[in-house]
Amino acid sequence: MTSYERVLKALRHQEADRVPFDLGGSVLTGINVHAYKALRKFLGLPETPVSLMDYTQQLARVEDDVINYLKVDVRGVDPAPVAEAPLRTETKLSRDGRYNEFYDEIGIGWRMPAAGGHYFDMFSHPLKDAEELEALDAWHLPAGDDPSRFPTMKQRADRYVNDEKRAYILGRHAAGIWELALWTSGFEKHFMDMVANKEFSHALMRKITDNKLEYWQKALDTVGSNVLIVSEADDLATQNSQLCSVELYREMVSPYHKELFTFIKQRARHNGAPEVYIFYHTCGSMLPFADDLHREGVDILNPVQVSAKDMDSKRLKKELGDRFTFWGGGVDTQSVLPRGTPRQVREEVKRRIDDFAPGGGFVFAAVHNVQSDVPPENYMAMWEALQEFGVYR
Amino acid sequence: MELLNEISALVQKGKAKDVKVLVQQAIDQGVPAEQILEEGMLSAMGIVGEKFQKNEIFVPEMLVAARAMNAGVELLKPLLISSDVKAKGRVCIGTVQGDLHDIGKNLVRMMLEGKGLEVVDLGTDVAPATFVEKAIEHDCQVICCSALLTTTMGVMRDVVKAAEEAGIRNKVKIMVGGAPVTDAFCKQIGADAYTPDAASAADVAVSFCQA
Repeated sequence: MTSYERVLKALRHQEADRVPFDLGGSVLTGINVHAYKALRKFLGLPETPVSLMDYTQQLARVEDDVINYLKVDVRGVDPAPVAEAPLRTETKLSRDGRYNEFYDEIGIGWRMPAAGGHYFDMFSHPLKDAEELEALDAWHLPAGDDPSRFPTMKQRADRYVNDEKRAYILGRHAAGIWELALWTSGFEKHFMDMVANKEFSHALMRKITDNKLEYWQKALDTVGSNVLIVSEADDLATQNSQLCSVELYREMVSPYHKELFTFIKQRARHNGAPEVYIFYHTCGSMLPFADDLHREGVDILNPVQVSAKDMDSKRLKKELGDRFTFWGGGVDTQSVLPRGTPRQVREEVKRRIDDFAPGGGFVFAAVHNVQSDVPPENYMAMWEALQEFGVYR
Repeated sequence: MELLNEISALVQKGKAKDVKVLVQQAIDQGVPAEQILEEGMLSAMGIVGEKFQKNEIFVPEMLVAARAMNAGVELLKPLLISSDVKAKGRVCIGTVQGDLHDIGKNLVRMMLEGKGLEVVDLGTDVAPATFVEKAIEHDCQVICCSALLTTTMGVMRDVVKAAEEAGIRNKVKIMVGGAPVTDAFCKQIGADAYTPDAASAADVAVSFCQA
């Protein structure tokens, strides 16, 4: 059975020969560059000039030797950075010498502590003072379908599917719709706008959605009929609760999701793809949003934060398993993977596989990216447990 | 008092502009600033905090309520100072060194203010020595440390150590919170309290300040 077939079976909620495995197929199932280098060394693989698949999160681009060694079933096809972006800057040391800083293509400022930093976080928001719609018009968003984003997309997609016989996740050019609204405005401002300045909130969500529609049309037209999995995201929940009420979500966010996901599916089918699945990322205790996400067209949930409230794997499989594929949730990354013993990691992996794997609908990945403090011994304990327990009999 | 109840209701709904108008009215009618603060603002934030804790309201509603409260407090501030009304306690707060995630920290700050505490916000990426320095400088009874990352939460241990070394450990309580932090971790590093959410953090801080 090829990797592609294995993933397809999982998505169709059928049992394959074993549970498919993802590492580095998306910027949500990846591995931090330091953890990745340590893993290579641990596996006895040669030192390489590791490149990054995600700069702000400092994620390594997982190389072919690791992909083959670990029998990874999924690859990622992401766009290139847009060529012309007037708001973007190179990374520079801040004036006080404490941070490395840059502005991204839409004007968000990011910084990472110069000494001992783990990744970049936002410190500046281009729409933080924007109250009127005119200010929104003045904010420059590079076109979603700018040709510079797509130079090798088709070749990579074809190589993964035709030569490697692997499935790929078609990646986004930006964060989720709501995330971008929160990031460009600043979290507090946009959360408040959703309640107290709805007109502005809607206008911003509209502008971002239009930009995404441009991107997805061009990306889907570029790869053509072999697209299978399309990645979108919007974090909706915290560990103990939700970021907003279901009612407010329905009013201010869900309509844009539905429009975008419907468009993606229609466009993929129009281009000859026999089936396409929406991979949707939200951290946290997201159970209250499941019905809405299903209605919007979401097929796959990631990262399945099993340690969050009401998110235990057994319960999720029972309540959502017929409607969603779980992509993640294979091992807790907050305590067990970084701080547990290899034996604890193994037990955790066995338990999650026991819960999620029956009947398919499960692709194994850790809960979110593997962080820099994960010892390679623990990562490999996870992988070995997957080889042992992730077999369908 | 009818007017103060109205103010409280408007704070809970997050109607900042209306709160300002009614607070000014109350001031003009000669209602003592302290009473407006207690019965109009802090009582409202108490209800908001409780609802937030019970997941009846969420971050957006809490933020607009805090903004509405602050709009009213701005008008009251000069009066509170001139009538020598003291805050119920003083707390400094920040995210620990290496951690730039401040959403949770900001929510805790709002809830602390909603309890009538004075908050010295040290911002993000705060060195252990800075927590201690500022706590001494501002005579704080509580230091609140926040971390989102498994890789930065260890710095909280250094904050406890720095407080010990500065000889202020018997005068200052240290509270810890953030996604990966647990009660067991709090005990392990010798901090005084872990709280899982903003509202309970505010309750515990008040009890420390009043002890």
